[in-house]
Amino acid sequence: MCPLSMCAPGEKVVIQRIVGGWGVKRRMADMGFYPGERLVVVNSSGGPVIVDVKGTRVGIGRNMANKIFVTIER
Amino acid sequence: MSDNRIIALAGNPNSGKTTIFNALTGSNQRVGNWPGVTVEKKEGVLRLEGTDYTVVDLPGTYGLSARSIDERVARDFLVRNKPFLVAVILDASNLERNMYLALQIMELGVSKVVLVFNMMDVARSRGMEIDARAMSIFLGVPIVPTIGNKKEGIEDLKRVISLYVRGLSADNKMEPGSPFKYRQDIEDAIEQVESMIPNEIAREYPARWVAIRLMEDDSEYRDIVARMSSGEEILGKVEALRQHLERILGYDVETAMAEMRYGYIKGVVREFVKRRPSIGDRLSMSDRIDAVVTNRYLGLPIFLLIMWIAFMLTFNLGGFFSDYIDAFFTFVGSITAAHIRTEWLASFICDGVIGGVGAVLVFLPNIFMLFLMLSILEESGYMARGAFVMDKLMHAMGLHGKSFIPMVLGFGCNVPAIMATRTLENRKDRIITILVNPLMSCSARLPVYVLFAGALFSAHQGTVIFSIYILGIILAVVLARIFKSMFFKGETTPLVMELPPYHIPEPKGVILSAWQRSALFVRKAGTVIFAAVILIWLMASFPLGAGYASEHTLIGRLGSVLAPVFSPAGFGYWQAAVALFFGILAKEVVVGTLGTLYHTTGSGLSAVIASHFSPLSGYAFMVMTLVYIPCIATIAVIKRETNSWAWAGFAVAYSLILGWSLAVIIFQVGSLFA
Repeated sequence: MCPLSMCAPGEKVVIQRIVGGWGVKRRMADMGFYPGERLVVVNSSGGPVIVDVKGTRVGIGRNMANKIFVTIER
Repeated sequence: MSDNRIIALAGNPNSGKTTIFNALTGSNQRVGNWPGVTVEKKEGVLRLEGTDYTVVDLPGTYGLSARSIDERVARDFLVRNKPFLVAVILDASNLERNMYLALQIMELGVSKVVLVFNMMDVARSRGMEIDARAMSIFLGVPIVPTIGNKKEGIEDLKRVISLYVRGLSADNKMEPGSPFKYRQDIEDAIEQVESMIPNEIAREYPARWVAIRLMEDDSEYRDIVARMSSGEEILGKVEALRQHLERILGYDVETAMAEMRYGYIKGVVREFVKRRPSIGDRLSMSDRIDAVVTNRYLGLPIFLLIMWIAFMLTFNLGGFFSDYIDAFFTFVGSITAAHIRTEWLASFICDGVIGGVGAVLVFLPNIFMLFLMLSILEESGYMARGAFVMDKLMHAMGLHGKSFIPMVLGFGCNVPAIMATRTLENRKDRIITILVNPLMSCSARLPVYVLFAGALFSAHQGTVIFSIYILGIILAVVLARIFKSMFFKGETTPLVMELPPYHIPEPKGVILSAWQRSALFVRKAGTVIFAAVILIWLMASFPLGAGYASEHTLIGRLGSVLAPVFSPAGFGYWQAAVALFFGILAKEVVVGTLGTLYHTTGSGLSAVIASHFSPLSGYAFMVMTLVYIPCIATIAVIKRETNSWAWAGFAVAYSLILGWSLAVIIFQVGSLFA
């Protein structure tokens, strides 16, 4: 398990845990991020991490990307 | 009983709600390619078979757990106003996420629901085949496929609305094939809580809905229940049920509930949406652009380059056309002077109307170009990226990446820009963004810069004006940092934002949008600016016999009182002082006042400026114009959005002190080297 911010572009990952209060978790869930959901890392070059979630591109600020823990799928 | 004349449009940000709204009501509300264009609910009228319906366009939201003000507006309208019909607008190319909100609205169960699958063309181009008919039968709600920007499917939507309103669908109501349910133990818990909800609450909110929110630990609903006499008992029960379920589930209930909703949606989408193997999954053009544009090292330089190009086009191309308008006014002025014998009337037309209003209108082409650049920026999809590019910088100054969007909008006009801060979730971020927003130099200040830079720095005017804009940005950064440490300490909320695909802006759309905003400027010239100019002209004409616009007129006396204040900044002329004074009404009035007092426009006015100001004092004057007191409209919107005269007063005070100090420092320090 590693933070999303460590993942490289092209990697397929599964969310394991989102660290944060009720509001943050809820907001992430509204946008399609919850444990068990699959993401594809599209861009990550030290700035925001851009992922594909349910067919949409969503940018995640570096700070938040450090708080989303994922496992990498092969 | 809800009013069956009210139809609400809800949906995710950037799903095309406003486009559908415009198509239904014939309105002309602004659309753009970034999440958060609509921050307040907007109403329009839909006429169907002789009856008028009120259509309400709600701000975009991803779910019903509102955090920011715009989302709260949408949520409260759906939950408390209970519109008769809710048309949920979904981006058909992205049903899996868009359905989440739709499902929650259906779950809410207070309104009839129509699902509008918008952007069907995009879905098709991504190789998706949606069996809307079968899906509609399965879900038990009508589904209307549309392509909003081509007005396709709008008639179908109207037909469905009229069927609903006439109650036909209500009679042969489709039974959902498989209504959404949580897993059994959670359903049981929801039922138990639902039965405990007191009548006072159930009158206002659907009881099952409240039970669901309580099981999800929503603090807003906990507070509502806590106010009831049986509140403690209910919340105790909820807590016990939650703990029990958490032991069984192994993790928190709210996550489990979100998972179940998404699980259900996944099933529905898998059943009714066929995906042909397509190019849709590969790295798209947008992704390749993003790899460069959001790159850690390239992001900022690219942003600056875009801004630089936009400004250059605004000045050079705009200035080209301005010369023609200037020639026109000069021509009208000379005719007036030659043919109107009544002295006061000739003075009114030449000095007041042409000198004042004309001096401002000369800059219409610049302003049009500025709005055109902003429209292109908004349409292209870059705005959302900008938020990420600037996130680090924004964080360093104690703001949120999302603050970037209101800041850029501020270059157009600070009033809508300040309203755009409603998308910020955190109140502290929001107030700081509001306070520093006037430092983003709006279009009204542009005429002042163009006039002064043109008169005093002819060869380098573009660079000089750009430096003013940059100064505004730097001041905003520094002040935000200071305000943050003065008034607000603590963490900021995370930045998570949808990045819509880039698209090449449609020429007709951006020109129309730029024109609408420029038309507001023209209207302002005909109203506020005109009124101010008349006032100034009268004050410059009385008492009679003092000589038009002389120091002994009313305005001359006012100016002479104020002028000494500005002597240390190098522009202690009474004309400059009153120009700044009346500029509080609207910043364009600064130019209008000078035009009226020096009774000339365009190139004539430039010559007068060049004789009164040195490049140094002119620059100090431009800086003063940039910083000092936001205009009246901006002060009013700061008051409204912060709900406090204290913040509005603070914005006025800091800007006045800062503007004056900077002008003085620039002039004094500059004089040492001159």
